[in-house]
Amino acid sequence: MKITTILKTVSMTLTLLFTSVNAQAQLNIVTTTGMIADLATNIGGDQVKVTPLMGTGVDPHLYKATQGDLRKLLRADLIFYNGLHLEGKMQDIFEKMARKKAVFAISSELPQNRIIQHHGQHPDPHIWFDVDLWMHAGDYVLKVLSKTLPEQSALFQTNAKRYFAQLRTLDNWVKQQIESIPEQQRILITAHDAFGYFGQAYGIKVMGLQGISTASEFGLQDIKQLKEVIVANRIGAVFVESSVSPRFIESLVKGVEAEGHQLTIGGELFSDAMGLPGTPEGDYFGMVRHNVETITRALKGASNQ
Amino acid sequence: MINDLWILATASLVAVSCALVGSFLILRRQSLVGDAISHSVLLGIVIAFLATDSRSLPVMLGGAVMIGLLTAWLSDSLHKFGKLQSDASIGIVFTLFFALGVILISLYAGQVDLDQECVLYGEIAFVPFDTIVWGNPETGVDLGPRALWAIGIVFLIVLISILIGFNRLQTVAFHPSLAVSLGINVVFWHYFLMTLVSLTTVASFDAVGAILVVALLVIPASSAYLIAKSLKGMLWLASAYGLASVMIGYAVSYKLDSSISASIAVSAGGLLLATVLALEIRKRKRRLQPNRPVGI
Repeated sequence: MKITTILKTVSMTLTLLFTSVNAQAQLNIVTTTGMIADLATNIGGDQVKVTPLMGTGVDPHLYKATQGDLRKLLRADLIFYNGLHLEGKMQDIFEKMARKKAVFAISSELPQNRIIQHHGQHPDPHIWFDVDLWMHAGDYVLKVLSKTLPEQSALFQTNAKRYFAQLRTLDNWVKQQIESIPEQQRILITAHDAFGYFGQAYGIKVMGLQGISTASEFGLQDIKQLKEVIVANRIGAVFVESSVSPRFIESLVKGVEAEGHQLTIGGELFSDAMGLPGTPEGDYFGMVRHNVETITRALKGASNQ
Repeated sequence: MINDLWILATASLVAVSCALVGSFLILRRQSLVGDAISHSVLLGIVIAFLATDSRSLPVMLGGAVMIGLLTAWLSDSLHKFGKLQSDASIGIVFTLFFALGVILISLYAGQVDLDQECVLYGEIAFVPFDTIVWGNPETGVDLGPRALWAIGIVFLIVLISILIGFNRLQTVAFHPSLAVSLGINVVFWHYFLMTLVSLTTVASFDAVGAILVVALLVIPASSAYLIAKSLKGMLWLASAYGLASVMIGYAVSYKLDSSISASIAVSAGGLLLATVLALEIRKRKRRLQPNRPVGI
């Protein structure tokens, strides 16, 4: 009697263990930013389990790894990172890991002529704000996923097709929205230069107080130039960013107001990270839509006055 | 498992190297020189970048070591020849260097992501991934983490230097005037120590990041200073405190899923606090028992 009960328990435990292993047969993907996680989730569907390392509001330039991140990376079947030096010194690590593990930079097969270069050979990493360019990154994710799980490639294709159609609509919508801003006011002023690709793709001039790195400081000349542009073009709004301290932009507003020009803070833009999960801005779509709505509302509102 | 061992080994070597040079810094009241170097390396990075137009690690390390040496030497010289307090001279040199770095960035490299966080400071959690491979990168023999090799070499240099120069360093640290009358080249040994400090800090920045290095330079040596009876004892104790902080800190970071380097730094602080409290309790007990024979 006793032995049979023990045997039963053992066999039940084994079945339980087996089923739980089976349920975890999803491809375990780790990404650096939330945006890449969003892309991988949409293309991989229920065949993948995606974990981003950098949480909400984390500036990728200043990300600090935890002990758990090490474990996440070790257990990952597939790792995606942005590349173009967005992850800083971590990129060297990823390049070395790629010898032994499946590690891929989603920017590695983007059309070279569309990469914005600073100082000759130092690329701007913020590729996700050009929706069309982001689709190219998506193509690469699709390619890697299909190669990793060939038996699921049809499913990935379908997912990608559906998602890219949505992105195409989003791309057109962004174009229309930005075109609806009077041409003279199509100038986007933010705290740091994260919107270079956005400007290039949608025909809006982008000016930033800081350079690319969120750690560098701005000079007096930068502020003076910005003030002149703002007054000359009668720009009504400047923007703060979710992952950069707003105090620089606030001081710019005070400076311009001192010269008798009306300037408001048009709202908060998501630049290096998405919003909280569960909120409308918690995915790529919501983030882009929020940014574009905030920009058009503020810049148009000012010109109507 | 092997990855945990790599991390612990790297952190332990950093801890002991920092504890050894940190002990001398404490005795010379220059313990913040590590913190100063962590800021002033920005200038070294920028100059190295402007000279080579590259952000590769060897170039960045080269620039950092040079400026690290300059920071240590200059602040020492300001103190000695400029007759300024040693804390003030450290403060003057590193703020000056850091500010120069910021100006150079805004003049020439404003559009490039260039700061010590991003190009120099390492993350200890990723030490196991950055390995040296002998021969072909795909098929060659894996020799273990690069950071472990770098800090291992620095550790050996520090250890051998202290073993060889122990008597002189001791005399210079405690009896500078005696050292002079004994014919010891005091200036040489000062700069020798500062060179060790600079090497240790920059190699450790690359391996484990800045905050941990600054903490490990100051805290274990301070804990040891409170209880040690001799320089030799202080060096041993400081190393032991450093190693204990690494072990406790790593366990804490595993449990809480927190940053490894921050957890180790906090553990070092915790051990210092425990030491202070233990000393205080012992003192009070002694006061309550005046007849108890005084012993150690």
